[in-house]
Parts: sequence; C-alpha cells; structure tokens
Amino acid sequence: MESTSSTALADLVRRAQQGEESAQRELIVSYQHRVAGFVYAMTGRSDYVEDLSQQVFIKMIRALDRLQAPAQFESWLFRLARNTCIDQLRRQKLRRIFLPFGEEHENIPEPPGAVDSEELDALRHALAQLRPQDRALLALVQEGRSHAEIAETLGTSVAAVKARLHRAREHLREHYTPI
Amino acid sequence: MKPEDKAWQSLQQHAAAQLRSGFAARVVRAANGPTDASWQSLRAVGAAQLRPGFAARVLSAARRIPGAPSLLDQLGLCVGTAVLCIVGTLFFHSRSLEIENERNLATWQRIAMVVQDADNAP
Repeated sequence: MESTSSTALADLVRRAQQGEESAQRELIVSYQHRVAGFVYAMTGRSDYVEDLSQQVFIKMIRALDRLQAPAQFESWLFRLARNTCIDQLRRQKLRRIFLPFGEEHENIPEPPGAVDSEELDALRHALAQLRPQDRALLALVQEGRSHAEIAETLGTSVAAVKARLHRAREHLREHYTPI
Repeated sequence: MKPEDKAWQSLQQHAAAQLRSGFAARVVRAANGPTDASWQSLRAVGAAQLRPGFAARVLSAARRIPGAPSLLDQLGLCVGTAVLCIVGTLFFHSRSLEIENERNLATWQRIAMVVQDADNAP
C-alpha cells in the first residue's frame, strides 16, 4: 500500500518536473498543511505561516527539475522548508541588530484565540527557547522523517542526529511547563 | 494538639492552598514533555493560517516573481565588481603617476633652464 502511494507520488513529482501545472498544484495541495504546520513550529508566528509557506513552494517549483530522485521528494521538500525558515529567522535576527526598535521586528504575541490550549501554548513557549536548528530537528521528527533522512538533510551522521535529538528533547522538556 | 503542631498544620494548609487545581496532572505533563496531541494541535494551528486558494496564489507568484539569482550569477557579479575595482584602481594609479611624472619633468626642465642661464651668464 505504502509502495503504491510512493510510486504515485514519484509519478506526480515527475509530471510536475516536466512543468505540468496540474501536478504542481496537486503537490502543493497535498503538502501545504504539513509545510504550514512545520513553518509554525519553526517560527511560532502565525503571521509568518502563509508567506513562508509560499516561499517554500515557489522554491519547490523552481528547483523541482534539479531533484534527481523523485522518491525522495518529501525529505527534499522539508529540507527546503527548514532552510527557508532558518534563513528567515537569521534575517530577523540581523534586522533586530540593525533596527533594534523597529516595531515590525518586535516579538508580537499571538492574537487571542490563536492558541487554544495551555499545552499548545506551553509547547510554543518551549520551542521558542530552543535554537532554530533544534526546533527544526524536533519538527522534522514530528513530520515522520527518519534519522537517516535528517542526517542527509543536515549533512551529518545518524549517530550525531540521535545525540542532537536527545539534547533537543531534553531542552524542550526543561522549558515545557503547562501552566 | 500542641501549639507548634497546630502552626505546622496551618503552614502546610497555606502551602497546599497555593497549588491550583490539577497540579498533579500538570506536573506529570511537564515531566513527560509535550504529547503527540500537542504537536498535532501545533501543526493544525499552522495549517489553519493558510487562506483558501493558497495553491493558486503560489503558482501565480512562481510565474510572476523573478527567480532568485543563482550562485553562479552571484559569483559572476562578485568577480565583475572585483575586476571593475582593480581596473579603476590601476587606471587611477597610472593616471596619477603620469601627472606626477609630467610635473617632475617640468620642474627639471625649469631647473635645467635656470642652470643653463647661469652657465651662459658672463
């Protein structure tokens, strides 16, 4: 069953690589919610989600023809999402250095009602205390990426990923305090 | 009951009253870390931020917005800028050298003329 769906996905990716717009659209629709969730976990800002997700998918469409193995589309897409979010967070940090009092760079709290439970709020708070790289690691695991895939994404070994993941989980637990 | 026991008891009661309801559940949740359900809610909140028609907007933006310059383009721009700077510097250097030489030559000519005049003087 799983191999059937992965074959179908590879086929869809191949069609999208050939420039078939309906296939590109289908790919976006299939992954938009997962990518948006990943972006939210990485940034903790709901006002960034649409914009960053759009950037991820635009990059996807433009770089799709360079993807050698269509079967590895998912891990490739989440690598794009991770790099886009980390770039955004780096830019934000730089802007904060050069424009420390810029209103648009302040850490705007989530509007009321955006966060619906204390556990979710605690998770958001705990994630915000981690380094973006660690956040990405945890979010990639939550997205079902294997250790091997994450190691490939980060250009490191599986053992290093496991060690970093262990530390990231420890840090998350330290900061996770449902009120 | 002894007065000190009574005091201890009231201290304990006061301390216990500081704990809000559901304390034990919260401690257990904090100790175990975020559950899969929390992660799912987080992802769901993120997913809910996308306005309808997201895919259509991405496709139209991908067609409209020019692509980011490639690494090769950026490298080309760097090399071009560096070459332009070097050529400019060399040009400025040679030009100022030329002007300096002309000025020196004119000074020497003037000195030579003065010397010649002095030699020719009776």
